[in-house]
Amino acid sequence: MAHNFDGPPGVTCAGLAKVWPDGLEAVRPTDLSFAPGQTTALVGPSGCGKSTILRLIAGLEIPTAGRIEIGGQPPSEMLRQAGLSVAFQDPSLLPWRSVRGNIELALLLARRKVDRDAIDQLIALVGLEGFAETRPAELSGGMRQRAAIARALATEPRLLLLDEPFGAVDELTRRQLAQDLPSIWEARGTTTILVTHSVIEAVMLSDRVIVLSPRPAGIVLDIAVDLQRPRVPEDTRRPEFGALVDAIFEALALGMVPRDRLQARQ
Amino acid sequence: MTGAPAHAASGATVSGSGRATGFGLLLVALGWEAAARALSGAFVLAAPSEVAVYLVENRGLMLRALGETLSNAAAGFVIGNVAALFLAGIALIWPRSERIVLGVALVVFCLPLVATGPILRVIFGPGDGPQIALAALAVYYTTLIPLLVGLRAAPSAWFDLIRSYGRGAFAALVHIRLMASLPYLFSGLQIAAPAAFLGAMVGEFTGAERGMGVLTIRAMRALDVEMTWALATVATAVAALAYLGVGALAQHVLRDAPPIILAPPRADIRVETHLSRLGDSVFGVSAAILVLWWGAIAVFNLNTFFAKTPDDVLRALVWAPDAAQTRAILLAALSETAVFLVPGYFAGLAAGAGLAILFVLVPAIAGTAMPVAIALRSVPIVTSAPLIVLLLGRGAVATVVLVAVMIFFPTLVACIHGLRQAPGQVIDVFDSYAASRVQRLLRVHIPAMLPAFFAAARMGVPTSVLAVTVVEWLATGNGIGSLMALSASLSDYDLLWSAVALVSALSALGYSGVGLIEARVLRVYAPEQLA
Repeated sequence: MAHNFDGPPGVTCAGLAKVWPDGLEAVRPTDLSFAPGQTTALVGPSGCGKSTILRLIAGLEIPTAGRIEIGGQPPSEMLRQAGLSVAFQDPSLLPWRSVRGNIELALLLARRKVDRDAIDQLIALVGLEGFAETRPAELSGGMRQRAAIARALATEPRLLLLDEPFGAVDELTRRQLAQDLPSIWEARGTTTILVTHSVIEAVMLSDRVIVLSPRPAGIVLDIAVDLQRPRVPEDTRRPEFGALVDAIFEALALGMVPRDRLQARQ
Repeated sequence: MTGAPAHAASGATVSGSGRATGFGLLLVALGWEAAARALSGAFVLAAPSEVAVYLVENRGLMLRALGETLSNAAAGFVIGNVAALFLAGIALIWPRSERIVLGVALVVFCLPLVATGPILRVIFGPGDGPQIALAALAVYYTTLIPLLVGLRAAPSAWFDLIRSYGRGAFAALVHIRLMASLPYLFSGLQIAAPAAFLGAMVGEFTGAERGMGVLTIRAMRALDVEMTWALATVATAVAALAYLGVGALAQHVLRDAPPIILAPPRADIRVETHLSRLGDSVFGVSAAILVLWWGAIAVFNLNTFFAKTPDDVLRALVWAPDAAQTRAILLAALSETAVFLVPGYFAGLAAGAGLAILFVLVPAIAGTAMPVAIALRSVPIVTSAPLIVLLLGRGAVATVVLVAVMIFFPTLVACIHGLRQAPGQVIDVFDSYAASRVQRLLRVHIPAMLPAFFAAARMGVPTSVLAVTVVEWLATGNGIGSLMALSASLSDYDLLWSAVALVSALSALGYSGVGLIEARVLRVYAPEQLA
């Protein structure tokens, strides 16, 4: 499944803003940049617009203002090359296709070669051995999300966008995935943007964490995660880890303040 | 020919309960036999045993007639459903055309078969043309509506997935829409199968040489009780088998997919929610109908003696010297019909919904009664009309009962299906508060039933018009149905076309009116249905 593109792309958003047709401001003008090959987590309270930022970068929404460039080109170009993958919050598996069939569909849509062994490896990676021929209706919510992650990885995207990909995954599997997945996108040199509301998960997986304020989303904290890789669950007990988690929680709490004040005034 | 999208999965519920079905049918047969014995001498009811004897003695005649009607129905079934696929394709590729396409499709569906039959006979001359055309006309709308719903019955996230790999509408059609629409398509085809048989039979009333319809007319004229009941039995069995057969095929084909993939938009999704938008639609659809009407007459170069243009109809109704008289005749006939139609329509709806609710309260009877209801819902009107006339005479009661019966079965099936859609978790919540059965019924089941009920109520409008005009024509000899048949046989084509235009327009408006009420009600009880 080799492809002839150059390395992982950087992503820059300049003055990015999104106002919904009903006037609701989802993202206030924001500058964001994501370094090539890095994993960045977007953390923020529910409904703060972090998923909207992801959808804007994916080219699924048109920004109201501002510009997005992926590897120096607009998102539409990235879409044309099928160079990115999104793992949606809702696994969005087609019910009439098996786990394998859903992964094959992604390869088909992206015009990539279907490699049975590679698909089997991905299915094993997300812990779904023995479920390749199972239909989504017979899988648990967490298993469906894992299938969706395998599908997102299958096309070897240069830019991987993950929207709360572990929401329904059980704690033990989540730990395992948090350990295994970064090694994949590191080995491939994938630029990864992860939207999550789990602070621990953000620190565990990322090279950098961006904390967003409540809607309309704006940056409250932008912090590098200088922990060595590969990371293991025990790392969560280290003081550096704890310090990062504390800083992020503090920023989240700080981000809440303006809204509280706003409400008090009304 | 009823509430198409409302009970898309009912085929799936049928075959699982073979024993209950057998039991229910046995009960029906026993009751029928007993009634016939009790009424022997009244010459109204032939017992199943007598019907069986008649069928064996006249098997050659019956089989020839059945073969003829079946082949016409099959041709009409194919043509009508291909037309539905074509129209759905237009609406999908060019979404702006959808309201016009659906509106025109509705008005054409509302054309009274009683009148289109004779008109088609004049156009086609002798042969199979009218039978096949009427069969096609009877099926295309009930396929088109669920198909359009199905083509959209997918969450937006699936389309996002397609787009995130840089692919467009065509990939979405192939990988999502076509697959998602299959269960809906089959639900339409299932209803279409008995409807095509009915259409072919009505077509045979207009001077065909062979077929079940020809025999039915002959039996009625001769007051041949055994023949009438034998024909009704065969037609009912064929229609029910066609319905169940398509259902079984759907189950086989859709084995891998659940019958309905999502919480489906059961009601017609294009329900107009605003009067002003309805006004726009009426205007656009009327314009399109007029263009098609004129265009068809011009393109096919139809004889102006019988092919009347909108201009002719308008003249006959407004400017002609005898326009006032024409209007008076039509108005008298329409009001005479309304007296039968309106009570029958509401009685059928009330009885169907009421019995469905009773089934929820007393689940034990549902298992036996439901399969029988599903079988009887496909009884062709042309066979039940003679039976009810035999039983109740040619008076007003018979007509009202007939309309009610035609509305009753589809409403019952749709409502039972709707009642089953009540969300299990919500019922669990009610149970956890030890809510009574009635509370559960009022607050969970009935709101869940409303979309299906309204779908049945909407389709009930053209169905009741069909029922009342057929029975007026075949039996009672009054009202607009009889007027249309009479004017066709007297070659009073100005009057015939005026009647057709009025009946179709009123029927389509009634359908839209129910849709308007539906939109209002569903906005409160099931807002997701109007997305």
